[in-house]
Amino acid sequence: MAEQRGTVGGPVLTEWFAKADLHTLDVYESLGGYSALRKVVTTMTAQQVIDEVKISGLRGRGGADFPTAMKWSFVPKDHPGPKYIVVNADESEPGSAKDRYLMENSPHALIEGAAIASFAIGGHQAWIYIRGEYDLPYEMLRDAIAEAHAKGYLGDHPFGSDHALDVRLYRGHGAYICGEETALLESLEGKRAQPRSRPPFPAVKGAWGLPTAVNNVETLSTVPWIIRHGGAEYASRGTEKAKGTRMVTVSGDVQKPGNYEIEIGVTYRDIIEGLAGGMLSGRDLKVFWPGGSSAKVLPASMIDTSTDLDGLKALGTMGGSGGIIVMDDSHCVVKAAARLLRFYAHESCGKCTPCRVGGNWAVRTYDRILANEGSQLELGILERVSDGLQNGRCLCGLGDAAGWVIESTMRHFHDEYEDHCLRHTCNVGKALAHA
Amino acid sequence: MKTTSVLSAHLIDEIKALPARYPQPRSAVMPALDLAQEELGYLTPEAMTEVATALQLDAGYVEGVATFYTLFHLEPIGKHRFYMCTNLSCTLRGAEELVEHLRGAIGVHEAGEVSKDGLFSYEEVECMGACEYAPMCRVDHRYHYDLTAEKVDGLVAERRSPAAAAPLSSSPLSPTLPPERGEGDKPKRAPKKKKADG
Amino acid sequence: MPDINLTIDGHKVTVPAGTLIVEAAKTVGIEIPVFCYHHKLDPVGACRLCLVDFSPGPPRPQTACTTPVAEGMVVRTQSAMAVQARADILEFELVNHPLDCPVCDKGGECPLQDFTFRHGYPTSRIDGPRLHFKKPIPLSENIALDRERCVLCYRCTRYYDEIAWEQELTVAQRGVQSFITSQFDQPLQSNFSGNIIDLCPVGALTSRVWRFESRPWDMTHTESVCSKCAVGCNTTMWQRRGQLVRITSRENDDIDEGWICDRGRFDYTDVNEPSRLRTPTIRGAKSTWADALAATAGGIKGKGAKLGISLPADLTNEEAFLFRRLLDGPLKGAKVKMHGRTAIPAPAGPTMPIKEIDDARVIVVVASDIENDVPIIDLRVKKAVSKRGAKLIVIYPEGVDLDRNPHTVHIRNAKGAAAEEVRKLSSHELLQNPGGPVAILFGDGHGSEDMNDLASACGALAEQVGGKEMPLYRATNERGALALGVAGWDSLDGVEALLSWGPPPTAGVPTSVRFLAAWDHLPRDGYDKAAVVLPATTFAERQGSYTNLEGTVQFLRPPVAINPPLKEAWEVLNELGAALGLELDYPGIFPIQRDAAAKTPALAALAQTPSPEPVTGPVLVGPAHP
Repeated sequence: MAEQRGTVGGPVLTEWFAKADLHTLDVYESLGGYSALRKVVTTMTAQQVIDEVKISGLRGRGGADFPTAMKWSFVPKDHPGPKYIVVNADESEPGSAKDRYLMENSPHALIEGAAIASFAIGGHQAWIYIRGEYDLPYEMLRDAIAEAHAKGYLGDHPFGSDHALDVRLYRGHGAYICGEETALLESLEGKRAQPRSRPPFPAVKGAWGLPTAVNNVETLSTVPWIIRHGGAEYASRGTEKAKGTRMVTVSGDVQKPGNYEIEIGVTYRDIIEGLAGGMLSGRDLKVFWPGGSSAKVLPASMIDTSTDLDGLKALGTMGGSGGIIVMDDSHCVVKAAARLLRFYAHESCGKCTPCRVGGNWAVRTYDRILANEGSQLELGILERVSDGLQNGRCLCGLGDAAGWVIESTMRHFHDEYEDHCLRHTCNVGKALAHA
Repeated sequence: MKTTSVLSAHLIDEIKALPARYPQPRSAVMPALDLAQEELGYLTPEAMTEVATALQLDAGYVEGVATFYTLFHLEPIGKHRFYMCTNLSCTLRGAEELVEHLRGAIGVHEAGEVSKDGLFSYEEVECMGACEYAPMCRVDHRYHYDLTAEKVDGLVAERRSPAAAAPLSSSPLSPTLPPERGEGDKPKRAPKKKKADG
Repeated sequence: MPDINLTIDGHKVTVPAGTLIVEAAKTVGIEIPVFCYHHKLDPVGACRLCLVDFSPGPPRPQTACTTPVAEGMVVRTQSAMAVQARADILEFELVNHPLDCPVCDKGGECPLQDFTFRHGYPTSRIDGPRLHFKKPIPLSENIALDRERCVLCYRCTRYYDEIAWEQELTVAQRGVQSFITSQFDQPLQSNFSGNIIDLCPVGALTSRVWRFESRPWDMTHTESVCSKCAVGCNTTMWQRRGQLVRITSRENDDIDEGWICDRGRFDYTDVNEPSRLRTPTIRGAKSTWADALAATAGGIKGKGAKLGISLPADLTNEEAFLFRRLLDGPLKGAKVKMHGRTAIPAPAGPTMPIKEIDDARVIVVVASDIENDVPIIDLRVKKAVSKRGAKLIVIYPEGVDLDRNPHTVHIRNAKGAAAEEVRKLSSHELLQNPGGPVAILFGDGHGSEDMNDLASACGALAEQVGGKEMPLYRATNERGALALGVAGWDSLDGVEALLSWGPPPTAGVPTSVRFLAAWDHLPRDGYDKAAVVLPATTFAERQGSYTNLEGTVQFLRPPVAINPPLKEAWEVLNELGAALGLELDYPGIFPIQRDAAAKTPALAALAQTPSPEPVTGPVLVGPAHP
């Protein structure tokens, strides 16, 4: 049995995680679960729900950081016919595992949040698009949805109201790009998951061509707490601009990897040295990815950076999906970047030219560099490709992310690149795998 | 038209019933391919064509979808497929050596190759979202954490023993259907929080 | 639509709201290069070549192909940011491109070449090995695919999906490994497949019929019209050294919208057939035209109803007019049979124009498998349904390709009972409150329907629901021949003499025939024994005009010059008339057209003939160019 690795009994999301069998409806409800949904459908209007979430300052936790209430309010209120909440449970960002942690511990919180969100946009159906590899979370959600139906919390008359609510599941089948919301919608429609050109935005033309709000698992799992405790209570946590708490996944060369609930504004030192117990013995921090592999890297010297989102933005990076990958000084940055570029090239959907060609061009260039066939030319190509992948050239963010890996690792560790390209040596001297 | 089909009649009926579960029928493509793959182990052109026919689509459409997603297998796979994460968090923790070890343990030379006894194959996959347990892998619909060479040997040995003839997970993954509203199927108790044989 | 004012590179532009930047730029002659964008397909923003920058807007380049204009917008296609972005994209496109332009059929009319020349970097930084795919792959007997040249703009697959409603052409795999493929490598079956060659902006999709035939700049091209059915799609015909080497589409939004079917595109090799008839023969022996025509006249003169005349589906209006004159004079009483015509009677007045299908809210298709009968009308109907939300009712005994839309209401009638089903339609729910025009397209069920009954049922329905009728004639110039009264429907059984104009009668030459005179372009069984065989021109050499199924008169122009001893069809009929004692002394085709226009109201358009001279010249930008 795998022990939980992460926060239990935290302030918001993980509040009840210490409790055994929280995944069952009985336990969840005994702690106060579903009281938020009950309150919403029996006493609140859709606008009141949106207003409460607006007060909380909750922003999307999938990486885009967009205000949740605003996203809901974009869904046209007067649209006749179905509108959907689509839950992005396609967590695939390297270094991010927090949505899995939330779903495995408390599937009902997500279901309750999804139902509340459906109510808020005037819809009746939420679709959870869950990545195909998440077998256990899928089964837990499936069973939890059945429990909620059996209790009448989902169905035609939840809590006796006349606002029918349902939550359904759709499994992904292996494609990182499905984490991009329009690619996810394509996939949900049974198509090749290639991002759509926007506009139209999903709020106008989303799933099956109908108005849709796409929300992340963590975002929606937070919503019941906000309804129970009030938006203001949530907003009292975090920083002035980035309110509340959020989950981060710490992985890599640390003593205690895990999923931690943090109050936004703590520093990366608090997380890496505090929550995660510091570096593996005898090694020093070299570099970390502050928000998934798609966030530009920060070198060890920037460990005191705050998790405040605007602060990260000012540094050109982001909190992203909360995956903090920590690498120590025994590992080679060029090899790590090469590994990540292989990932981005493999996961490129192939729709737009820069990402399709650029990712692969970078991989072939890294291959030559790591085979000690590099030269000044290769350094030039990497800069060139990185530039061609970013700056709005691509249809979605995947290409930018690939470019950021190249750019940020080259910026902070140019000497390592030069060692490889110009001197055909690696001064880190150890293979990546020597953990 | 062939007279014999590769998919069982009962499965084709099941596939034909899928489109009604979604707001638009094309959404049924992936669940249908799932069912076909579950029955055959992997997707042949014949199987994909039959899925297409059952869903009233062109085979080309189904081919386009099936080849896009990595969880659809277009070649024979071992009875037990190891999905070995080698993305950064797992590689920092030694995933590459583990893959090499696994190759020896199951007796194959490269990804995709099926072991002679037909029991095993493996592939290197991207991040599976369990980075706090790196290095990790997925096999038989379950995650396995904190892998070491010994643990990999154990996973292989369990599956070689006769007792492992049945899939490990207590409830084999049911078709990927959303629970139907009012269908009245009894809610199964969710499994205890035993995530994996870590 | 209100007009929007904006500025593009300093030019003031006023265009209707909703216009995309890429289209607005065209109006002032500014080229924004595109691969994935095509004005007949939904924009996808995939290739990223059309990046421009504009304000107000984000500080990043944006795709001009997906962004509609806005009031006061300032678009810069030549800012450093935009210029570099496009050059970068072109460089990326070339990273894996084989650069085999010297042996590529597209070379010379290739947007990838042209755009690289005009928008790319002057030097190459591309290094190392390129990605390789197996090539070329035959997609069908007519189309070859070179995956290494492909830039994955998805025009071909989007066309297939959006326009033709088929998915036999698809994209497999993903990322840089993505490639275009026919489903499980089976040959393409669609009757509309060839359009992907015109759509392809690189040399990935090429014609196998024309493969390695000539460089584009070695050909001349002529604007003409297709002779394969009654739709009258506009085409461009390409010749090189007296051979017809290629037919491509030529966009006419009133008729074809830039699409042609595979029959129109690939069915032309008979023109270049080495065994083509070149000289007249009498009982197998070469003769002069004068002798042959005299022999013909002698064999058919004064036969009355013992003479049969077989006419081809693609009889021009001019030929038809001359036959009218012969039938009113020396050949009076002859039995006439036109190939491939329907049983639909001549229209009483104007019928619904093809382009109005676009605006229909409900389309009723009766007694015709339009995919095969009038292929490009089939695409127009599909467009009205999938892009404009029209509802579709089909009355036909068998399955049709319009059934691919799950919302198609398909009423399967018993053969011969179409009229009955049409009469029931007036109470159909879709027609109760159609919310706009109703289009009623009807064929003749290939002879299975009683046309008087069906035509009156359709007429009654049109009246009841406020619809317009479109009779679906099949023979190329059936409508013109009907107007001139030569679209005969007579049985040729029992005739003693036969003037076979065009290919022999479908049912064969009747056994009763003692005298056969044939005007044909290919040798056939029995021609060696025929009394007279006159060498005929083909659609590639002929002048003249066709009246299409909606009544529009369009001109056939010859890309291939007629070399003696071949004669123009009108000239042959002129001389035959003279040999029969009729004063047919037209000095050229214009006087025939003027005369026909004066005498036949439906052919009034012939009086304003545009120049029938072939428009020839080198082509710098090929048909795929936007």
